[in-house]
Amino acid sequence: MLSIENLSVSVDGKKILNGLNLEVGTGEVHAIMGPNGSGKSTLAHLLAGRPGYTVTSGTVRYQGQDLLALAPEARAREGLFLGFQYPVEIPGVNNVYLLKAAVNAVRKQRGLPEVDAFEFLGLVRGKMQQMHMEDSFLSRGVNEGFSGGEKKRNEILQMLVLEPRLAILDETDSGLDIDALKVVAAGVNSMRSPERSFLLVTHYQRLLEYVVPDFVHVLVRGRIARSGDRSLAVELERRGYDWLAGEAA
Amino acid sequence: MSASLNSRIAADFDTATGGLPATGAAAARRRAAVERLLARGLPGPREENWKYANLRPLERLRFMPALPAAAQLAGLPTDLPPALEGFTRYVFVDGVPVGTAAISTAATGTASAADASAALVTLGNVRDDGPLHHAERAAGADERFALLNGAFATAETGIHVPATAREPARLELLYVASADAQAGASYPRVAVRVDADAQLVLLERHLSAAATPSFVNSAVAVDVARGARLEHYRLQELNTRSILFDTLSAQVAQHGTYRLHAISTGGQSARSTSTIRLTGEHAELALAVVALGDRQQVQDAYAVVAHDSPNARTTQTFRGIAAGRARVAFNGKIVVARGAHGTDSQQSLRGLLAGPEAEIDVRPQLEIYTDDVRCSHGATAGKLDDQMLFYLLSRGLDRDTAQRLLKWAFLEDVIAPINHPALRRQIETRLAAHLRDETLRELV
Repeated sequence: MLSIENLSVSVDGKKILNGLNLEVGTGEVHAIMGPNGSGKSTLAHLLAGRPGYTVTSGTVRYQGQDLLALAPEARAREGLFLGFQYPVEIPGVNNVYLLKAAVNAVRKQRGLPEVDAFEFLGLVRGKMQQMHMEDSFLSRGVNEGFSGGEKKRNEILQMLVLEPRLAILDETDSGLDIDALKVVAAGVNSMRSPERSFLLVTHYQRLLEYVVPDFVHVLVRGRIARSGDRSLAVELERRGYDWLAGEAA
Repeated sequence: MSASLNSRIAADFDTATGGLPATGAAAARRRAAVERLLARGLPGPREENWKYANLRPLERLRFMPALPAAAQLAGLPTDLPPALEGFTRYVFVDGVPVGTAAISTAATGTASAADASAALVTLGNVRDDGPLHHAERAAGADERFALLNGAFATAETGIHVPATAREPARLELLYVASADAQAGASYPRVAVRVDADAQLVLLERHLSAAATPSFVNSAVAVDVARGARLEHYRLQELNTRSILFDTLSAQVAQHGTYRLHAISTGGQSARSTSTIRLTGEHAELALAVVALGDRQQVQDAYAVVAHDSPNARTTQTFRGIAAGRARVAFNGKIVVARGAHGTDSQQSLRGLLAGPEAEIDVRPQLEIYTDDVRCSHGATAGKLDDQMLFYLLSRGLDRDTAQRLLKWAFLEDVIAPINHPALRRQIETRLAAHLRDETLRELV
């Protein structure tokens, strides 16, 4: 699904990722953990195509294509989804319109006709129930006036509707209370399938109690310092990140 | 202001009034207007409140009013916007009423018609002691184009909603510019009075008959009496070769409400000057201005709100988008007079640069001469938000669609409050056309 080799990235001349290697197979759930400033969010945003990053070395292949050569919108249409840590508020652009435009962009790419508006609304309403979201949400502006938890739920709702092949969730658990975390985790778990891969970027292992990953990687100073299974996350929770600081050097 | 401009105005004035009686109230009124104008001259680009306006066309314009005959012959364009349900429409060509209204005017000199919704609409000669005349006598330095209107206008529309009206009146004044600017100018002139506790929804629209470059200079006086309510929509949709200067002066009495929505998308160069005085306690003004400029267009608006009485409220909202090499400017001033305590004013002025060669100028001004007021203001000018854009792209929307969507979102604050769906739809369609937006009609 995703193959990252020797990736180095800098922002404003400062090196953030430093020879990173990562393989994500189809159907796998990978968690990327690491201390603040280790490059987790940079990795997530770079994969989604955010401008402002300079790739100084390495390659990223996604479903056999050179991911870095694709525009952000093309990546999305190829089934890559980024759940934002800080979803932006866009007053005046209505939620349901954005959802529909996004779904139709993917469908167009796949040679499918536009969704039927009525059926689409029914589908979205079902997913909203799943995410414990109120109906009024549909007619509101994108994330406009949403609480932190509502914004995160909205990200997962978009993921449920868009059905991506690779979902990258950037600190989706941050700022959530335990009830909201469970709803978000259930949303993610409902999407797990042999055809779909996940990259969960998180600082704490709390989310991983509910969404159990196949692999856990620790990012320190821009490269993977250690990889393991879920027990690595538990160990990190117990010991912190400091003991790994030397391993990335 | 060059001497040659003054002498051309004087010469055109002599020609225009040559066939008219040289004595009498009308002659004296016109003479007074032109003399005051010539004494001061038209504004120049070095004047603070005129630096964003495009005054160059004045060097080649003619000030003679377009001949009514020419206006009648030119006829109306066939693609006028559909009349809105519940609104009575009056049509003017080059500032002069046409259709049945024109016929009755010709027969009686002055025609009065009780509108279905009990507004009294008077289409006729310029009134010698009307509110516009009084406005001219009191015209400030920034209202000199109103003097030009006073000197040359040949027709005036009076709208009067009496206190006895039970239903809100709904009227549309549709001004079609058809004469070539080289042949003559158009001088729309409207005086509106809404009596105590009465209500009026007024739609004022300026269009072009064809691609002919026209010169329009309009003057509007508005009087909102105690407890009255006026919703005033001003849509400027002239072709992009035309020149518009517009002067509006309004006063709002105690507990009166004036909602003024100005949407300016047309013209090669359009300048509007609005002076609104809140003369009574608890008067309320909501002023919302949208201006879109593309290619070489210049859109310039100057709005002064005077809080003369205590406890009045103002919201002033501006949203402008400049693309191509356009210049879009808004200068919004709020003056809180001594003793106008309890004033509540909010200014939100935002400009969006949609092209590397475009220019946006937003200028909030606040002058406060009393204590105990709440006045907030915010002004921004910038490009589309990169984070919003990336968010939409990351959801698969193409760049073009995402940018247009964000432009809509930018205008939302001023479009959403238009609570006449059919009118809002027409406005949105017009804005979509200007933003060259075909895909988003479904959105609006």
